[in-house]
Amino acid sequence: MKKDIYEKMDILANSAKYDVSCSSSGSDNNYKTGELGATHNSGICHSFTADGRCVSLLKVLLTNYCIYDCAYCVNRSSNSEIPRAAFSPRELADITINFYKRNYIEGLFLSSGIISSEDHTMVMILRTLKILRHEYKFNGYIHVKLIPGSSNELTEQIVNLANRVSSNIELPSDKSLRLLAPNKTRESVLQPLKFAKDVSLGKGKKPIGMSTQLIVGASPESDKDILKLSSALYNKALLKRVYYSAYIPVNDKDKNLPSIVTKPPLVREHRLYQADWLLRFYDFTYDEIVNDDNPNLDEDLDPKTFWALNNLNYFPMEINKVSKEELLRIPGIGARGVQKILNARRFKSLDFFDLKKLKISLKRAKYFITCKGKYQKEIPFYKDVIKTAIIAPKPKKIIAPSLFDIEYSNVTGEL
Amino acid sequence: MILIYDNSFEGFLTLVYKVYYEKLKPTRILNKKPNELYLDDYIFIDYDEELASKVLKALKTKFKKKYFQRILNIFMCDSKDFELDLLNYIIIGFKNQQQLENINNSSIFNILNLEKELFQHIHKMEGFLRFEELDDGTLYAKMQTKFNVAYFLGKHFFKRLNNQRYIIHDINRKIAFIKNDDFLGIQNIASFEEPNLSSNEEKFKKLWSQFFNSVSIESRKNNKCQMNQVPLLYRTYMSEFYTR
Repeated sequence: MKKDIYEKMDILANSAKYDVSCSSSGSDNNYKTGELGATHNSGICHSFTADGRCVSLLKVLLTNYCIYDCAYCVNRSSNSEIPRAAFSPRELADITINFYKRNYIEGLFLSSGIISSEDHTMVMILRTLKILRHEYKFNGYIHVKLIPGSSNELTEQIVNLANRVSSNIELPSDKSLRLLAPNKTRESVLQPLKFAKDVSLGKGKKPIGMSTQLIVGASPESDKDILKLSSALYNKALLKRVYYSAYIPVNDKDKNLPSIVTKPPLVREHRLYQADWLLRFYDFTYDEIVNDDNPNLDEDLDPKTFWALNNLNYFPMEINKVSKEELLRIPGIGARGVQKILNARRFKSLDFFDLKKLKISLKRAKYFITCKGKYQKEIPFYKDVIKTAIIAPKPKKIIAPSLFDIEYSNVTGEL
Repeated sequence: MILIYDNSFEGFLTLVYKVYYEKLKPTRILNKKPNELYLDDYIFIDYDEELASKVLKALKTKFKKKYFQRILNIFMCDSKDFELDLLNYIIIGFKNQQQLENINNSSIFNILNLEKELFQHIHKMEGFLRFEELDDGTLYAKMQTKFNVAYFLGKHFFKRLNNQRYIIHDINRKIAFIKNDDFLGIQNIASFEEPNLSSNEEKFKKLWSQFFNSVSIESRKNNKCQMNQVPLLYRTYMSEFYTR
């Protein structure tokens, strides 16, 4: 039976939704006169779905037919419960252009199940890209998921046409990969990325942005293993971004996976992202955030506060004296806050009131700083005391009027 | 002392001149005659072309380019009371350009924050503006925005819709940014008729809603987060929130 285009969209968007990456940032190509589309350096979100995630790119699969059988994936070949569909390259290119003109999207995020062979799938993806870039003169953002195991020539052509390519590692260790994704190995997943990097560096251009995704909570690795892997990938300058995705059970037949009733570990995912930011923007190393004593991130405290509490010897910091790098280590103060402090203290020496006026959040920061040598008075400078104060702030006293504590005259209402 | 001007940029420049040369010390600046009764005395400032152009010239020569641009940007935030802070900003700038970075001064801090709010608003609109295709192929977008951002959006879309004709229509301010074969820029729109949409429009709207609904993950549903990201204010012309 032939499916109509709405049904296809439903099926193929549904199958692509577990990919978290949706950024359209990091490439600022200038527009070309008489052509369509441009990218924006900061990326643009065009809508937000009911789960609160940004819609920036038209994120679909070219097809959800797949010859692989990865246990954690909805589209695995052994799953006979889901409907299957495929877009033709022309169909998809037309939808992309029409969505783009209406300002629904920044561009295309194209991924695919493996249909008949890796190379055949890549050829289909490449055909879509060629229609967009050459025929429609489209200069918007295109992100392609490379297919592990496809030929180098195809990868090279894709790298030349796309703004970003990625390949999902999915599971942080080889052991878990073997168990849950028997057709993949870490090498086969990383190989296209390494090749893509060489291709774009060889051209002397700015290297193409690359990213990957790790599933959290499907296999027994600790946060330390995950962050160690991410920081290795960042340090080798292989990747721009690592995405973390809390595992949402889509398979109740495999006994190696959490059962379908398990809630996705959303807090853990959130903490991993916080830690990831510390790695990329705050000059932390992974072993400062997690180590053998604490292989997992604390759920109650964010990683920066956790680090600060375990390294109280660096604190309290004098807000008017310490360097930019040190300011960045203060819990609750981010890059923008640091910029404001640096800017403001050129003109005067700051006290707590000045910080408040600059709208810098002191909720956590106040336990770790001094202003003109003064430390806040309510909470003494001890690790446990600060910790309790941060986790459970004093509840506001609620004065509930009671009918019976009558302290005023019944007759006149006076006190 | 309350000063009242005519809500135009030139009127405000005249006000700046009067403040300097008649040594006025305003406590409030209003852009129209107040309905409430104030005990303070108020002075009407009438727009004067000569005085205004004098001030404009002085601003252009004395202020660094980015500081001058900021004054123009702030004037686009027409739904906010920015006048008194902007006046202070100008006075400080004439005295000492370096002090314009001193965010310890509350006027400067407010102006910088307001400009940031403007840019955030523009950025959101760059994402949330929705074009519809008309029967002649022109792309047409309606919007009702907090600030006057039609010019900024027009500039933004000039890059990405370079081979298209488009109209960005600000309903409340009755202006539109128009790009077609022989015109590029802002125009006043006194009245307008609802234009005819192209035959494809319905199909792509439906396809877009389909995509929008399919790509959401049920077990991670978070309406509050969605509401924070796309407040109702922006949703008026975003079809995905209405059609199913």
